[in-house]
Amino acid sequence: MRSSWRERAAQIGGYILGFASLFVIWHIAATYLVGSVLFPPPTRVVLKAIELARSGVLGEQILVSMRRILTGFACGSLIGIPVGLAIGSFATVRRLLEPYTEFFRFIPATAMITVAVIWFGIGEGSKIFLIIYTTVFIVILNTAAGVGAVTPNKIRAARSLGASRAQVFLYVALPASVPYILTGMRLAMGNSFVTIIAAELIAANAGLGKMIWDARLYMLVDQIFVALLVLGGLGFTTDRLFRWAIYTFAGRYSPVT
Amino acid sequence: MPAPLVRFAGVNKVYRSLQSGDYVALRDFDLDIAAGELFCLLGTSGCGKTTVLNMVAGFEVASGGIIEIAGRAVNGPGADRGVVFQGDDSLYPWLTALGNVEFGLKMRGVPRRDRDTQARRFLELVGLHGQEAKHPPELSGGMKQRIQIARVLVNEPDILLMDEPFAALDAQTRAVMQQELVKIWAATGKTVLFITHDIDEAVTLATRIGVMQAGPASRIKGIIDVDLGPDERDRTNDRFVAVYRQVHAMIHDEVAIAMRRSA
Repeated sequence: MRSSWRERAAQIGGYILGFASLFVIWHIAATYLVGSVLFPPPTRVVLKAIELARSGVLGEQILVSMRRILTGFACGSLIGIPVGLAIGSFATVRRLLEPYTEFFRFIPATAMITVAVIWFGIGEGSKIFLIIYTTVFIVILNTAAGVGAVTPNKIRAARSLGASRAQVFLYVALPASVPYILTGMRLAMGNSFVTIIAAELIAANAGLGKMIWDARLYMLVDQIFVALLVLGGLGFTTDRLFRWAIYTFAGRYSPVT
Repeated sequence: MPAPLVRFAGVNKVYRSLQSGDYVALRDFDLDIAAGELFCLLGTSGCGKTTVLNMVAGFEVASGGIIEIAGRAVNGPGADRGVVFQGDDSLYPWLTALGNVEFGLKMRGVPRRDRDTQARRFLELVGLHGQEAKHPPELSGGMKQRIQIARVLVNEPDILLMDEPFAALDAQTRAVMQQELVKIWAATGKTVLFITHDIDEAVTLATRIGVMQAGPASRIKGIIDVDLGPDERDRTNDRFVAVYRQVHAMIHDEVAIAMRRSA
């Protein structure tokens, strides 16, 4: 018990120290090495962030981007998991759908931005489409890999314990693939951040990416850095929350231990 | 002799492969196992003994010949034949020991309370009282094999198929598990088909030992009756040593052939 408490303290301490060093190095680089308005030190960026937060602008942009990510991510997972399970379970389905997955996974979501905007407009439609697109293939591939990785003896054992094929799927293949599914979802979440910013940079009327693009037009370097800082923080927090949720709710199925 | 519970008559098994050509594992394989026997199938590695077990289990299909259980042709796996695998990769790590043991009952739709009671009874039988809530990764190799045995026994199969179940255990644990298996076999009266490459293990456990030829195109070379009492199943016992020598003499040439073929 005591040692696990110590481990936890060391872990958190390490994190704080690591992040603190990031800011210290940033400060030294900006103030003493570069010394240009084009590379603001952390203090200025934080002050700017407080200003933007007070005026409500920052919160609004965060909300817009996160809503797009979460909607697309949820839809993409809901489509990807059953498709992945079907691909992993049935050779016919795999042969039918593999051309799609093997073809589209080499076309990055960022390459689809223009098409998405032409099809779904500059608003929410194109963004959610892109997040679904970036999510669905990773989730499919990981889910299918999970079903494929079930050791044959697990299935043989179930069959000779009297399980039907449907029961083998429900009680063996499905639970055995949960860690793979969750890993796929976590990777997809990371990709969603990349995709949403790229999409908002190119064509959007709101969001963190739009905020960066607008700031570029008026040379508001501080504001660009605020957006970058927020992005890093959001990505980190979302991933930690996801890990925590997996660990807490998935328990025995958890890929993170 | 009454009608055999397991019957192989003229069974062939050919593995087809485009790369390396066809491989004949078994040719004209005959074997009868009576109800209530603890039959050890002994052979060198690659002789096809696991193939025999997999065909009884219904995991693999014979290329020709007859395989019958209680007079009926084998058609896929079924709960009448419980399988204990060599490794622990057949256990479900997301379930507790209890969850693993009651798996078969759950598949059959036995109500939760009944299957809980039965699973606990069989966990106790294999000496795992108090370990119900643990998950397989938390248990030792010996305990995991005990879960496998309990999981099969609770399902009340006619035959236990055991594929070198103790081969991955350390020598002390293996000896204990062998004793427990004999006890369980005596208590339940189940028919057991036990695969091993270990002469000592075969003589310790078996009522009869079937020695297989070295592969390919293997068949039974000979069958030895092991007429030893429980207190004679001991390496230092003269009658045990006599049976051991008899089995050893029969398998000795096959080991040499297998060595030459794999070299």
